[in-house]
Amino acid sequence: MLVWTFWISFLGSAAVALLPSHWKSEVRWLALLFAALGLALGLWGWGAYDVEVGGYQLGNGEGVPWIPELGVRFRLGADGFSLPLVILTGVIGVTGVLYSWNIEERVNQFFALYLLLLGGVYGVFLSVDLFLLVVFYEIAIVPKYFLIAIWGSTRKEYGAMKLVLYSFAGGALVLLGLAGIAFAADPAARSFDLERLAATNFSSGFQAWAFPAFFLGFGILAGLWPFHTWAPTGHVAAPTAASMLLAGVVMKLGSYGCLRVAIGLFPGALGATVLGVPGFWRWTITVLAAMNILYGAMVALVQRDFKFVIGYSSVSHMGFVLLGLVTLNLWGLSGALLQMFSHGIVAGLLFAVVGRLVYDRTHTRELDELGGLGRAAPFTASVFIIGGLASMGLPGMSGFFAELLVLIGSWKAFAWVLIPVGIGMIVTVVYTLRTIHLAFFGAAPLVGGDWRGLPPITLPEKAASCFLAAILFLVGLYPTVLLSMMDRASQQFLDRVKQTVPVHLARP
Amino acid sequence: MSTYEHGYLIVGCLMLVALVVASTPLLLAACLRPRKPSAIKQATYECGIESKGDSWIQFKAQYYLYALAFVIFDLETIFLIPCAVALNQVGFFAFLEMTVFVGVLLLGLVWEWSKGVLEWR
Amino acid sequence: MNLSDLLPLLRFLAPEILLSALALGALLGEAALSRLLGVEKRQNLLGWLALLGLGACLVILGDQAARGETLALGRGAFVASPFNALLKTAATLAVMASVTMGLRAPFVRHVGENYALVLFSLLGMFFLLSAESLLMIFVALELTSLPLYALAASQKGARRSIEGGLKYLLFGGLSAAFLLFGISYVYGMSGQGSLAGLRDWLVAQRTAGGPGFLFLTGVCLMIVGLGFKIAAAPFHLWAPDAYEGAPLPAAAILASASKLAGIVVAARLLLGAFLPVAGNVLGSPLSWHAGWSPAVAALAVASLTVGNLAALAQRNAKRFMAYSSVAHAGNVLVAFLALDASGRPAALAAPAIAYYAVIYALTNAGVFAAIHALAWGARGDDFADFRGAARRAPFPAFFLLIFLLSLAGVPPMAGFFGKLFLFMAALQADATHWGLAWLVAYALAMNVVALGYYLRFARVLWVEPAEDLRPISTPLELRVALVALALLVLGLGVFPSSCLAAFRTMGGVLLLRG
Repeated sequence: MLVWTFWISFLGSAAVALLPSHWKSEVRWLALLFAALGLALGLWGWGAYDVEVGGYQLGNGEGVPWIPELGVRFRLGADGFSLPLVILTGVIGVTGVLYSWNIEERVNQFFALYLLLLGGVYGVFLSVDLFLLVVFYEIAIVPKYFLIAIWGSTRKEYGAMKLVLYSFAGGALVLLGLAGIAFAADPAARSFDLERLAATNFSSGFQAWAFPAFFLGFGILAGLWPFHTWAPTGHVAAPTAASMLLAGVVMKLGSYGCLRVAIGLFPGALGATVLGVPGFWRWTITVLAAMNILYGAMVALVQRDFKFVIGYSSVSHMGFVLLGLVTLNLWGLSGALLQMFSHGIVAGLLFAVVGRLVYDRTHTRELDELGGLGRAAPFTASVFIIGGLASMGLPGMSGFFAELLVLIGSWKAFAWVLIPVGIGMIVTVVYTLRTIHLAFFGAAPLVGGDWRGLPPITLPEKAASCFLAAILFLVGLYPTVLLSMMDRASQQFLDRVKQTVPVHLARP
Repeated sequence: MSTYEHGYLIVGCLMLVALVVASTPLLLAACLRPRKPSAIKQATYECGIESKGDSWIQFKAQYYLYALAFVIFDLETIFLIPCAVALNQVGFFAFLEMTVFVGVLLLGLVWEWSKGVLEWR
Repeated sequence: MNLSDLLPLLRFLAPEILLSALALGALLGEAALSRLLGVEKRQNLLGWLALLGLGACLVILGDQAARGETLALGRGAFVASPFNALLKTAATLAVMASVTMGLRAPFVRHVGENYALVLFSLLGMFFLLSAESLLMIFVALELTSLPLYALAASQKGARRSIEGGLKYLLFGGLSAAFLLFGISYVYGMSGQGSLAGLRDWLVAQRTAGGPGFLFLTGVCLMIVGLGFKIAAAPFHLWAPDAYEGAPLPAAAILASASKLAGIVVAARLLLGAFLPVAGNVLGSPLSWHAGWSPAVAALAVASLTVGNLAALAQRNAKRFMAYSSVAHAGNVLVAFLALDASGRPAALAAPAIAYYAVIYALTNAGVFAAIHALAWGARGDDFADFRGAARRAPFPAFFLLIFLLSLAGVPPMAGFFGKLFLFMAALQADATHWGLAWLVAYALAMNVVALGYYLRFARVLWVEPAEDLRPISTPLELRVALVALALLVLGLGVFPSSCLAAFRTMGGVLLLRG
C-alpha cells in the first residue's frame, strides 16, 4: 500500500494538469488532496512497519520482472532508512502546497510539475531495485527545471539550468556505475536488486572505481563540497515550495543514494588503499564533509541575501549527514539519518519563512533593507526563530539529537574532525543569530518604513508553519519516534557491512 | 604486395609521368613567353567568329525532359533485345518480369503525357 | 523458376509490391485527377489513400513479424525476416507521420508526385533494410536518396529549400561515389557480393595472410560513404543546410526513417560483413588494434563533440535538430565498437542498435510533427518564432516536450533506455577490463550537455512569454499522429523489453545467412 504514494502523486500530476488553468481553487484543493494522501500513506506505513523484523517491508514482495534481459525487476519496499524519508517527503509535500496557495499564474502546471517531482522522489525512496531507483532519480530532475525557470526569482533561468545540469551530471556518473554493475557479476545471476547486490562480493578492483562514481554521482545532489554550488543558487532561484522540496527532500535523495548504493553496495571501497593511502575514500569524504560544514557556515555568515543564508546553511547541514555516513558506526549512521529528517523539516520551514512569509510580502530579501520585522510580523519572527534554533541544534529541538549523534559517531571514528566541525557549529550559531537580529530585531530601515501594512499571514500559511514547528518539537523531545527504526536499520546495515569492512576501520 | 596491387603501382607511375610530361612544357612556356595582353587576345575563341554576349545563357528546361524520356526508352531496348533473343531459354518467368518492366515504363509515359511534358511550349 | 514457386514468395514481398503499386498509383492518380480536382482536394484524397495503403503495409509487416518466417533470396539480395519487418514497421510509421504532416502543406503544387517521391523513398528503405548484398545495398540506397533530394528541394518558392536540396544532392552524390568506390575495391579484392560471403572470405583470409591493403582501403571508403548517410561528423556538413532548407515533412523523413535505414545498413556492413577486420579500441590507444574500429571511434568522438557543442549555439529549430541528429549518430556509433579483444560483438550490441534506431526514428518523427504543428501559426521556424508557444498551442507543445526529453534521455521516455542500452552494450563488450569505459564516459558527459540544449528549446516553448497570444489550432489528424507517436515513445520506454526482446531473439546475429 505504501507503494501507492508515487502512483498517487503521478496520478495527481496528470489530474491537475488536465484541469483548466482558470479553476484555480479547485486545482489547489486537488493538489492538496493528493499531497495529503501521500502523507497519510507514509504515516500509515510508519504505523504498519514492524521495527523488530526490519528489512524491506510494505512493498510488492519480490516484485515483478520489468526488463528481464537485464534482470531488472519492478520491486518496491521501505525499510528504516527510507520510511522516515517517505514521511518527510509527505510532510514537505503537503506544507509546500499550503505555502503555494498564492500562486496565480499557470496554477495547474505548477502543481502538476510539483506532484511529478514529488512522485519521482517517493519512487527513489521506495525502489528496491537499483535500476528503478535511477529511473526515478532521473524522472525527478526535469520538473525542477521548469518549477524554477517559470515560477522562480533572482536569476531563475541560470539557477534552474545549473541545478539541472549538476543533477544530470551526477545522474550520468550513476548510470556509468549502473552499467558497470550489470556486467560485474556473472551474467546468469545478473540483477539490480539492491538486497541481492548488497550480498554480492564485488571485486576490489571494481569497487575502487564504482564507489567513487556512485558516491560522487549521488553526492553532487547531496551538496557535497566542492560540487555544492548548484544548491544555493538553485534554492534561491526556486519558488518557495520548490526550494522547500529541493533543500528539504531532494538533497536527501543524494545522501540516501550515497548510503544505500555507494556505501551499501561497496563498503569495501571505503577501506581500500588508493594512491598508497589506506582508507583513501573514507578520508577524502570525511575531509570534504568537514569542509561542507565549515565552508557552508562561513559563507552563510557573510551573505547579504536572506535566502542565500538559508541556502548555504543547507550545504553546511548536509555536511553532518555525509560525515555521519562514513563514520560506519551506529551513532554516526543513526545521527545522519535523523539529521536527514530533521534538516528536511528545518530547511522546509526556513525556506517557507524567507520565501513566502518575508519575501512575498516585503519584496526584498536584502538583510540591510529588512530589519524590525519582528514588531510588524510577530508570527513570522517566531516561526523563523524556532526554525533557527532547531538549525543551531538547541536541545529540545530535532537538530540537537541528530548532530549530537553524528558528533559522538565521528568522535569514535576520527576525533580530529571535531575541530573543524566544532568551529563550524559555532559559526552556525553566529550566522543564525546575526540573521535573526538583522531581519527581525534591528532598527527598521529608513527606506522601507516600519513594515506596517504588510499583508496578514493567511490561514494555510499558519497551519503549515505550526505543523512543521510541531514536528521539530516532537522529534526533538521524543526522537525514539523515528530513531527506533533508524537504529534497527543501521544495526542491520552495520552487521552486514562489518563482514566486508575490516574492523580497524573504526579508526582510519 | 600482391601482383594485383603491382598493377596499381604501374598506373600510379604512369600518372606521375603523365603529369610531369604535360606540365613541364606549360611551365616552361609560362616562364619564357613575353607578356603583351590585349582585348582581342583575351576574348573567348569561338570558331574565329567575334564572340557576342555572355556565355551564361539559359537553356530551355524542356530540352532535358525530352532527352531524358528518349534515353529511358533507348535503354529499354537494351534490356528487351537480349530477353527476346533468349526467350526460349529464360522462359515464362522472364517474360513476366519484362512485362512488368515495360508496364512501369508505360505508366511513366502516360503520366508524362497527361502532365503535358510532351508538348513543346 | 515456375509460377508456382513464385506465389509463396509474394507473401514475403507483399509490402514492397504494395508500396510500389501505391507509388505508381499516386502518380497515375495525379495524372487522372489533375484536371478534375483542385490542389487541396487532391492533396487530401491522395494523401488519405497513401495513408490507407501504408496502414495496410503495417498490417502485412505485423503479420510477417508475428509469423516469424524468414526468406533469403539470391545471395542476400533480399532477406525477409521478422527482425527486418519490425524495422520496416518503424520506418513506415515515421513516413506515415510525414505524410500526415504533408496533408495540408500549402507549398505543394505537384501533389501526386510529392506522395510518390515519399513512397518511393520508403520503398528504397524497405529494400535497404532487407538487403544483405553490396549491390542491393547500393541500389536501394540510391532509391532511398534520390527522391529525398527532390523532396528536400520541393518548396520551390523558397531559396533556402533549393539551396538545401542542392547541397544535399551534391553531398549525397559524393557519398554515393565514395560508397561505390569502396564497394568496387571490396568486391574486386574478395570476389564476394553478399555480406555473409564477405565475412566468410575474411575469416578464411585470417590464415591466408589477411585481406590486403586495398580491401581495407575499400572498407574505409565505405565508412566515409556511410558516415555521410548517417550524418556522422566530420561528414555531417550537409545536414544543417538540408534540414533547415527542406520543408518540414521532408525533413522529418531525413531525420527519422532515412537515418534508421542508414544506421541499420551501417551495422549490417560493419558488425556483419566486416566484423573480422574490426580491430578494437579497448583501453589506452597504445593497446588498440588496427581495423575499422579506430576510424569509427574517431567518427563517434567527433560526432559527439561537434553535434552536442554546435547544437548549443543554434537559433533555428531545424538546424538545431540537424546537430542533434549528428550527436545521436555519435551515440549509436558507440555501440558499434562494442567488441571484445577477440573481436566478438557484445550480445547486447545488435539489439541495442536496432532498438535505438527504432525509437530514434519514432521520436524524431514526433519532434518534426510537433514543430510542424507549432509552425502553423508562427512566422518561421526559428526559436524566436516559438516563444511562448505553449500558451498558444499547449497540445503540440506538450508533445514536443515529451519528444525532446526522450531525445535528451530522460526516463520514462524510450530515449533514456535507448542510450542506456547502447552504453551498456559498449561496457558489456570488454566487461572484465572496462576497455570502452573511456568512450562511454565521454558519451555520458556529452549527453549532459545535450540535456542543456534540449531544455533550452523547451524553455523557449514553456518558459518564455508569448508576444502573440492568438491560439494556434492543430488539425485533428496531426493530433492523432502526435498522440500515437508519443504513446509509442512512452510505451517502448515503459516496456523496453517488448522491443528489445524481439530484437534480441531475432537479431542476435545481424546477418540472416551467417
